[in-house]
Amino acid sequence: MKSNRLLTIVVLAILIAVTVFFMFPIVLAVFNSFKTQGEMFKSVLSLPTKIHWENYKHVLTEIHLMNNLYNTTVITVISVVGIISCGSLAGYKISRTPGKLSQLLFFLFFSSMLVPFYAIMFSLIKVAKTFHVQSSVYGLPMIYIGLGVNFAVFLYHGFVKSIPRELEESAHMDGCGQLKTFTHIIFPLLLPITVTIAILNVLWIWNDFMLPLIMLTKYESYTLILAASVFFGQYSTEWSYILSILVLTSLPVVVLYLFFQRFIVQGIAEGAVKG
Amino acid sequence: MSYKSKPWLSLLAFSAPALLFYAIFLVYPTIGGFYYSLTDWNGLYKDYKFVGISNYIQALTSDPQFIHSLLYTLKYVVVIVILQNAIALCLALLIESRTKSKTLFRTLIFMPNMVSIYISTLMWAFIFSRVAPKLAEYTLLSFLDQGWVSTPNMAFLSTVIVTVWQGAGYLMIIYIAALQGVPKDLKEAATIDGASTFRRFYHIILPLVMPAITICVFLTLNSSFKIFEVVYALTGGGPGYSTEVIALNVYQEGFARDRQFGYATAKAMILFFMIIIITFVQVTVFKKKEVEA
Repeated sequence: MKSNRLLTIVVLAILIAVTVFFMFPIVLAVFNSFKTQGEMFKSVLSLPTKIHWENYKHVLTEIHLMNNLYNTTVITVISVVGIISCGSLAGYKISRTPGKLSQLLFFLFFSSMLVPFYAIMFSLIKVAKTFHVQSSVYGLPMIYIGLGVNFAVFLYHGFVKSIPRELEESAHMDGCGQLKTFTHIIFPLLLPITVTIAILNVLWIWNDFMLPLIMLTKYESYTLILAASVFFGQYSTEWSYILSILVLTSLPVVVLYLFFQRFIVQGIAEGAVKG
Repeated sequence: MSYKSKPWLSLLAFSAPALLFYAIFLVYPTIGGFYYSLTDWNGLYKDYKFVGISNYIQALTSDPQFIHSLLYTLKYVVVIVILQNAIALCLALLIESRTKSKTLFRTLIFMPNMVSIYISTLMWAFIFSRVAPKLAEYTLLSFLDQGWVSTPNMAFLSTVIVTVWQGAGYLMIIYIAALQGVPKDLKEAATIDGASTFRRFYHIILPLVMPAITICVFLTLNSSFKIFEVVYALTGGGPGYSTEVIALNVYQEGFARDRQFGYATAKAMILFFMIIIITFVQVTVFKKKEVEA
């Protein structure tokens, strides 16, 4: 029994050390974003002596981070709404229709899973220019829908199998049209997987760096992360400002994570099993 | 036209919006990518001509910088796949052994994965440049005071630290889910039979989490071959081009050097073929292990 307790203590010690390693960059970034440049230079490791909101005020007003926040929000919301509407319609119907055509569609949606973004990015720029969706906050979501819809189709396809067919059949008997059956009866039942898909996509699009980097060319349409990258490129030593940008950019996803942790964890575990 | 008589029509109607976006922004650029990789398309000019596989030949025979990035990426992939999976599996085992504090540890260790990889890298740039030298003032940690990105070896180590820090939590979640699927009575039976902790792990737990290992190794192979942000933000490929990975090489070729879009796409296609072949072999080999177990 004695060795068992010792083991428990060792396990706990390791876990605490690991947790410190995983948390300290975030914690230090938050602490130091509230310090002046001078205070940070003197004591980077300590708690801020006084909460300075100046860094946040500066980045929100002087470099117009508010506008970048707006862009990121618009891009994320439109993309996620689009991915969910297109993905649920297709995933539901492919799952419910037997036959060669639906198998073909399912295969088509999955054949591109491993294509690295770098292999398509140059021709994607060309396509985006043709369709006038390049360099615009409202155009970028169209590309995100195209890139992200297959995973949503995949998850909906699997989830629909757990919903009894009787519901649709009786709705059909009552003279309910197919689209109405979907929006009024099926879609509400898909809520659990919809929440998972929404969260995973918010995380992806909010945090994405590569697509905005190659598509958005005007500062007015930059996302938060692009703004951070531009600021870092120009003032790589102004850490108190940079850190406040980093904290502002991460705050929404961390809050989302703390609220919806169960769905995120479940989504990852399920996505992995089905993938 | 009732839906009983024409199911394929309603199937197409429901799939049309998804198909449209998917075809325009993913399928078409993929096919376009294959085609452009066979041309001398340059981002600056409208005209380009078909050059066959000469881009591929040039990349693999007379582009030492690309070959270097290829070998460097391979080294990075091997280290990341092993480290990330080993650490994630160990963490999952440790966390699963706890009862009350399980959720707390999982929540905190997984948190870095929520932060954008680019933002994470900038946080680490802060740690390396400002915090590490301060920590080094305490004698025990004096090794921390060095140029974290100024030599090729240190730059490699820095990118590995950031990648593991950001990615381990994700795999840990998958491993925890797999461990929770191991039946309790099996573990108890082994304990009663007098199996040691190590034997219990090796003979009972490991075979049962083998499917999760297959998936996690696949995921890490896939993501580490495509690594871009960490290197872009932390080292910029430097010093020199010693830490330039394939994705960065492709990006530089297309946007920074001569805007050789066709040639850059050919290099990205080489990356694509490598990922396909290596993950195919990996999944086949690992699946065999699953059956034996």
